[in-house]
Amino acid sequence: MASKLNLLREFYSGLPKDSAKIETNGYGFSFLTQLLSGGSALEYGELTLSGFLHKYKIVNIPKYRMDELLESHIAKECNVCLYFNTEKNNMFCFNMDNNHKTNNTIVIPEMDLAIRFIRDQLSELGCEPLIIASGRGYHVWCRLGGVVENNLLYQFMLRAAAKTMAALHKYGYDYHKIKFNFYPDTRNYKVVSLRLFGSEHAKNQTFSYVYRPEGLLDEAISWVYFEDYLQHKTIPEGKFREAYAAIMAAFEG
Amino acid sequence: MDIKKIIAIDLDDTLNDFTKTLQETVFTYSDTFSFTEETFNSYLNRLRNDRPEDSDLLSTEYSFFQYQIHEQCYRLAKARTDGIEFMQWLKNNGWQVIICTRRDLRRANGCTVEWLKDNHIPFDHLFMAWNKIVFCKLWGIEHLVDDAVFNIVHGENYGVNVYYPLMEKHHILPGNSAKGFKVFNEVKQWLQS
Repeated sequence: MASKLNLLREFYSGLPKDSAKIETNGYGFSFLTQLLSGGSALEYGELTLSGFLHKYKIVNIPKYRMDELLESHIAKECNVCLYFNTEKNNMFCFNMDNNHKTNNTIVIPEMDLAIRFIRDQLSELGCEPLIIASGRGYHVWCRLGGVVENNLLYQFMLRAAAKTMAALHKYGYDYHKIKFNFYPDTRNYKVVSLRLFGSEHAKNQTFSYVYRPEGLLDEAISWVYFEDYLQHKTIPEGKFREAYAAIMAAFEG
Repeated sequence: MDIKKIIAIDLDDTLNDFTKTLQETVFTYSDTFSFTEETFNSYLNRLRNDRPEDSDLLSTEYSFFQYQIHEQCYRLAKARTDGIEFMQWLKNNGWQVIICTRRDLRRANGCTVEWLKDNHIPFDHLFMAWNKIVFCKLWGIEHLVDDAVFNIVHGENYGVNVYYPLMEKHHILPGNSAKGFKVFNEVKQWLQS
């Protein structure tokens, strides 16, 4: 297997690497100085409601520092979350969260149905996703062979999510119990970032296991599958455009 | 620089007139909202009366509406003139200034920074913290200027000196050692004493 650092570099090669959101239990002015070494700047910081967990949006990150941060991410010392490009991207992701205020890290029946439905739907369209367990649900990634305009990615995701919510409704579930966020989101490119594969969730310390129809893969097998997806399941750009045309036609019809 | 000369300052109702802006601004309904004008008015009334939504869900139609109205207030709120002078005095006298707010900076970072710049308010870092006392304690910040009753009451227990702009909501407070002020010049004097 290629090194984990190289796998992350390659999988997320299309995303900007000069800015990131860092999630960590580190805090204090000495820590901040260290975090910003190499000329990075803090856009804003946050003390969350989860213990001492802090989040820092940093910009102007030099390449060597991003590699160091990714190494820390792999070592589970922090989480690196990346932003998307403002015009075009070679990947998109559905962030599906349990929308309850409390006890929201459990897999509710609505999520169980939704994740299976969206996976089948995308696969049938020729866009098999890489699904990763997150704290409150799943990240459903699709990696493309070329860049596509953000508006197309967004319109595609909007419709795929709508079909998923319609399926929940059809089977008698309340679709409000799941929150969809789209990456990239044409309304707020610079606002939202997404945690990369290969670390633990900041709140519940659960690894970002790969989800398969038969269940979650363990950590080691998740890395193997991640590499396999990168090498064999990246979606050709033309295939995505066909899927886009198909889903648009379905809604127009 | 003296590492103890660090101060955290709140924004809403401390450096600006957020609540007045929320109460008095005429917010206009438009078809960009996904609900009726009647619902809009009902939501606005709820927001102005600080009545939380009765829902066990995190993201709702109302929570999105609340953010949209709050963001307008962040942009429209007027800065206190004496607050601007105080912030400039801090910066000119070697203080490290941390803006510490409960705003959702993930979304409001841009408009917040723009407002600070437009009002010539200097700062070193911008932080979001729901519990500012814990934040100050963790970061070794001994001084906090903030209107929140929770911080006024509990700051002392955690070694944080709290200064607050006197408002109607402060008329009846449990015992505390925080200092209320009418003008920021009073805080300046306390910091120098």
